[in-house]
Amino acid sequence: MSIKTSLLASVCAVALVSAIGASPVAGQAKPARPAAAPPDLTGLWDGAPGGNTRDLAKYMKSQGLTIPFTPSGAERYKNVDMAKNPNAYCLPPGPSRALTGPSPFMIVQHKDVVSFNFENHGVYRIIYLDGRGHPADIADYLQFMGHSTGKWEGDTLVVDTVGINDRTWLDSYGLEHSDKLHLTERFQKTGPDTIKYTVTYDDPVFFTKPWTASLNFARQKDRLMEYVCTDNEKDRANLVPTPREP
Amino acid sequence: MPRILAMLAVCSGILFTTVPIAAHHSFEAEYDRSQKVTLKGTVTKIEWQNPHVYYYVDVPDANGTVVNWAIEVGAPNGLYRAGWRKDSLKIGDKVTVEAFRAKAGGPHANGNSVILANGKRVFNGTADPTAN
Repeated sequence: MSIKTSLLASVCAVALVSAIGASPVAGQAKPARPAAAPPDLTGLWDGAPGGNTRDLAKYMKSQGLTIPFTPSGAERYKNVDMAKNPNAYCLPPGPSRALTGPSPFMIVQHKDVVSFNFENHGVYRIIYLDGRGHPADIADYLQFMGHSTGKWEGDTLVVDTVGINDRTWLDSYGLEHSDKLHLTERFQKTGPDTIKYTVTYDDPVFFTKPWTASLNFARQKDRLMEYVCTDNEKDRANLVPTPREP
Repeated sequence: MPRILAMLAVCSGILFTTVPIAAHHSFEAEYDRSQKVTLKGTVTKIEWQNPHVYYYVDVPDANGTVVNWAIEVGAPNGLYRAGWRKDSLKIGDKVTVEAFRAKAGGPHANGNSVILANGKRVFNGTADPTAN
């Protein structure tokens, strides 16, 4: 046997053994296929052109819908003072307004946690994916950005958020909420450079039933920059009580 | 082909320079859309800083009395992305400012556009990339 023939025989033997090893043995179940790895959301993102969620009432109108206010919620919305926009006081924007408003954010993804790092106010959100629940006492320790847990459903990250204090607005036009707000958000990777974002607002104090808004995020090519609201802030002193413009 | 490229450049410039620059406060709580003013004067100071860029313009009134106006524009991060730089406007520039007056009164307004003496628009200007 020449060296070449011997080598060929060895390769064939290895291949045969591998093939036998990989073949299911009669009577045994096929090994389960490993679940597809979730998509990677890591990167810099911002709202894609065409989004209109800065004013959620107008967004809903564009969908042929209205926000399902409770009577007290409608009263609060009608009488809001635009000078009290929490943004003007350099407070964190809240978990969903940070995404439905216009400002870039960096997602950094790990198997047990996803971090959202927002340029706006330099705030962040942490989404725990390690199977934990919300803290049992979260209602006693409310946060501007709430507490979030998540899980993957195929190509979609589903995030559950509670423990949000009532000092944030849901949009830039005076849509308030209570500390009973419960958000369900879905981040679906729809392409290499696109994410579809859907948020469902459930707040029994302000809304008679859950309702949903949606927009797309587009990958950004530049960098996250700084935005420090408290540095040299000089507008607050000039704010005048103002109703929402029709 | 060059014409198409030129057209694309102009169109992208239009998109580029008309990106809305969000304010951290509600515009209507500080400024009055019904009180638009046109101010002609000389730039005295530029504050390229968070949370909003301000610049100041000496504006002579009908009697020759000079009033220094404070003009607020967008946040530096948004302005930078829209193509503006620290030196887009310089001290000593003769400018025409179109702005909305502050509700609280005084020589204070929100800048809608700034036109230099040579006709170029900077800060909230339109599709002239050479203005940057």
